[in-house]
Amino acid sequence: MTNQSLQKALSYREALNKAMHDAMAASDKVLLFGQGVNDHKGIFGTTSGLADKFGAQRLIEVPLAEEGMTGICIGAALNGAYPINIHIRADFVLLAMNQIINLAAKYKYMFGGLFDIPMMIRLVIGRSWGQGAQHSQSLQSLFAHIPGLTVIMPASSGAIVDSYAHAVQKHRGTVISFEHRLMYDLTFERDHEPEVLGKTPFSQRRVRAGTDVTIVSTSIMSLEARRAADWLADRGISCDVIDLHCVSHIDHDVIMKSVGRTGRLLVADTSWLPYGVSAEICRIVCQNDPGALKAPVVSLGMAPAPCPTAKALEDIYYPNLTTLTDSIATLVRGKNHGIDLPHERSMADVYKRFKGPF
Amino acid sequence: MLNTNERLKRLIYQTLLIRRVEERVIELYPSDKIQSPVHLSIGQEPVAVGLCESMSPKDVLFTTYRGHAYYIAKGGKLPELMAELYGRKGGVSGGKAGSMHLAAPEVGMMGSSAVVASTIPHGVGAALAAKLQGTKQAVITIFGDGAIEEGVYHESMNFAVLHKLPVLFVCENNALAVHTSLAQRQAFDIVQHAKSYGINTTVIEDGNDLIKVGDIAAKLLESLRAGGGPEWLMVKTYRYKEHVGPGDDFDAGYRSRSDMEKWLATDPLYKYPEIVKEMEADVKTEIDRAVAFAEASPLPTRADLLTDVE
Ligand SMILES: Cc1ncc(C[n+]2csc(CCOP(=O)(O)OP(=O)(O)O)c2C)c(N)n1
Ligand SMILES: [Mg+2]
Repeated sequence: MTNQSLQKALSYREALNKAMHDAMAASDKVLLFGQGVNDHKGIFGTTSGLADKFGAQRLIEVPLAEEGMTGICIGAALNGAYPINIHIRADFVLLAMNQIINLAAKYKYMFGGLFDIPMMIRLVIGRSWGQGAQHSQSLQSLFAHIPGLTVIMPASSGAIVDSYAHAVQKHRGTVISFEHRLMYDLTFERDHEPEVLGKTPFSQRRVRAGTDVTIVSTSIMSLEARRAADWLADRGISCDVIDLHCVSHIDHDVIMKSVGRTGRLLVADTSWLPYGVSAEICRIVCQNDPGALKAPVVSLGMAPAPCPTAKALEDIYYPNLTTLTDSIATLVRGKNHGIDLPHERSMADVYKRFKGPF
Repeated sequence: MLNTNERLKRLIYQTLLIRRVEERVIELYPSDKIQSPVHLSIGQEPVAVGLCESMSPKDVLFTTYRGHAYYIAKGGKLPELMAELYGRKGGVSGGKAGSMHLAAPEVGMMGSSAVVASTIPHGVGAALAAKLQGTKQAVITIFGDGAIEEGVYHESMNFAVLHKLPVLFVCENNALAVHTSLAQRQAFDIVQHAKSYGINTTVIEDGNDLIKVGDIAAKLLESLRAGGGPEWLMVKTYRYKEHVGPGDDFDAGYRSRSDMEKWLATDPLYKYPEIVKEMEADVKTEIDRAVAFAEASPLPTRADLLTDVE
C-alpha cells in the first residue's frame, strides 16, 4: 500500500487543514466541533478558511463542555452525521472519558451490532514551552486499552491525509487521533513518507529498513528514531524503524518479522512506560516468540512523573536524540560501543519554530 | 482601622504591583527566560486585590491558570513567584509548576489548574472540611465566565447549597473564553441561573472599583464565617491582553479596542495617577529584587526530576 493522496510536500499543519477540507468536501455529513474552530487562529490553522467554503454551520464553536459535547457528537453520529471533535490539548479530553469509553466504545457491541459511531476525535499533544503537567500528556494507551476504539498517532503529512480520509470515508467506528504539536511546522517530503505495511492507511509503517535492531516508535519518536538511525547508519549500525501509527491495532507479524531478523528491540514512545505502548509491544513479542530476542528489550519514554514546567527539567524528562542514539548503540554493541553521539540537549530546540505563548 | 485614604492606597499599591509584575513578564518574554504559557491578569487585578483584602492567611482560595494576580494579592512571596516563572529551583514549586499552577499554601493560596473549572469543587470540599472541623475559615473559589459551562460547576454549586458550606463562588466575568463571547457560548443568564440553586447572588458591575469589591467581599466572607451558607458573586472585569501570551490582540477581530477604553476610564491605576506616581519607585524596587532572586536561583537538576511524585 502506498501513500495515496499526497501530491506534494506539505507541512503537518497543512496536511491537517487539507484533511479537514477534503473530509468536508467529500460529504455534507462531516461536521467540525471544537473550541476555536471558527476563530482567527482556527485550531493552529487546521480549520482556517473552512467556514468560508463550507458554511459556519458546519464548524460548530462549542461551549466549555467536553463531556456534553462528546455525547452530542455521539448522538449526531447515530443520526447520520460524521462529527470531528477537536481538543487543542489531549488533556482536555479527560473530561469526556465517560462518553468515549462507556458509550462510544461500547455502542456497537452492547447493542449487538445495531449501531456504529462513526466519528473522529482529534487530540493535540503539547510539548515544550512549559506546557507542564496538564497540557502535555500522551494518553494513547488509555484509549488503546479499550476495545471498540481505534487510536492513531500520525507521524507524517501523508499519514494524516490518508488516515483521515480513511477514517471519514471508509471506517465505521470511532477514531481517536493524537497529533503532536511539535510536528505542526515540519514539512514532510513526499518521497520521505514511510512505507505502509498493510492493507489500510491505519497499518504500521516502515520508516527505515535495517538488520541490527528493531525500533518500534510512535508519533514524534518515529522522527527521532529516523534521525538516530541515520546517524548510526553512518557508523555501521543498521536500524529497522517501524512507526506504529495505529497503536490500538498492531499487526503482530510486522513486529515479529522484524524482531526475527534483528533479534533486538527498542521501543520509543511519547508517553510513560508502565502499561503503555512499550509494555504492549513486549507482550506481543513474548506471546508470539519468547525466544526471538538475543538481548533484553529497551524502552524509552517520559520519566515516571507528571511533566515538569521548567525547561531544565523538561529537557531531561523526555528522551532526546543523544539518549536514544546511545541506547540503540548500547543495545547493539554493548556499553563500550565507542560510537560518537550527536549532542543535542533538547528536542524542542530542534523542532521548534514553535515558540510561546502557546 | 485604616482611614479610607490609607486603605485605598494599600489597595492601589497591590494593584500596581501586580500590573508592573505582569508588565515585567511581558518585557522579559522575548528573552525566553520565561518559557511557559502566561495568562496575564492585566485589567483584572482589582478583582483579585479586592477579594483578598479581608481574607486572612487561614482563609483559603482556589483559582485558575490566570493566577499571578491572586498569588500576589493573597500574599504569596514575589521572589518565589519570579523564580517559578523562570523555571528555577528557588521557585515556589521548584520550577515544576510554572505560571499556570501557582500556589502558596502558607497564605491559603491552595493551587490553580490549567484545566478550566477543575478547581471549583476543591473550594467546596475545603469548605466542607472547614465546616465539619469548625475552623471558621472562609473559602473562595474563583472561575471565569467560561467555566460556568462545565458540568462540574453545577455539581459543585448544588452540593455547596445542599450542605450550606462556607464557600464564596466568584465568577470573574471578562465576557470572553479565549476568543468567544458569552453570546456565542451561553443560552442562559448566568445570574438567574445561579439563583435557581437557591444561593444568594451579588453582582459587581465595575470590577475596577477596589473599595466596592473589597467591601462586598468582606461582607460575604463574614457571612460565610457566621455559618450563613454559600454565597455567589459575579465581578465584571476586562482582560486587556491576549488570552495567553504577552501581546495585544485588538486586531484579531473578535473584540475592539473601544471595549477596553471603557474599562480604562475606571481603571484605578489611571484614575489615581498621583498616588500611583508616589508608589512606582517602591514597586520597581520590589520587582527588581524578585527578578534578581530568580536570575540568581539555580536551575533544577536531574536530582529534582523524580522527587514529589508520590
Ligand atoms: C477543560 C478545558 N477545556 C478547554 C481548555 C482551553 N481553555 C483554556 S482557558 C479557556 C477559556 C476559559 O474562559 P474563562 O473560564 O472565561 O476564563 P478566562 O480565561 O476568561 O479567565 C479555554 C477554553 C482548558 N484549559 N480546559
Ligand atoms: Mg472569561
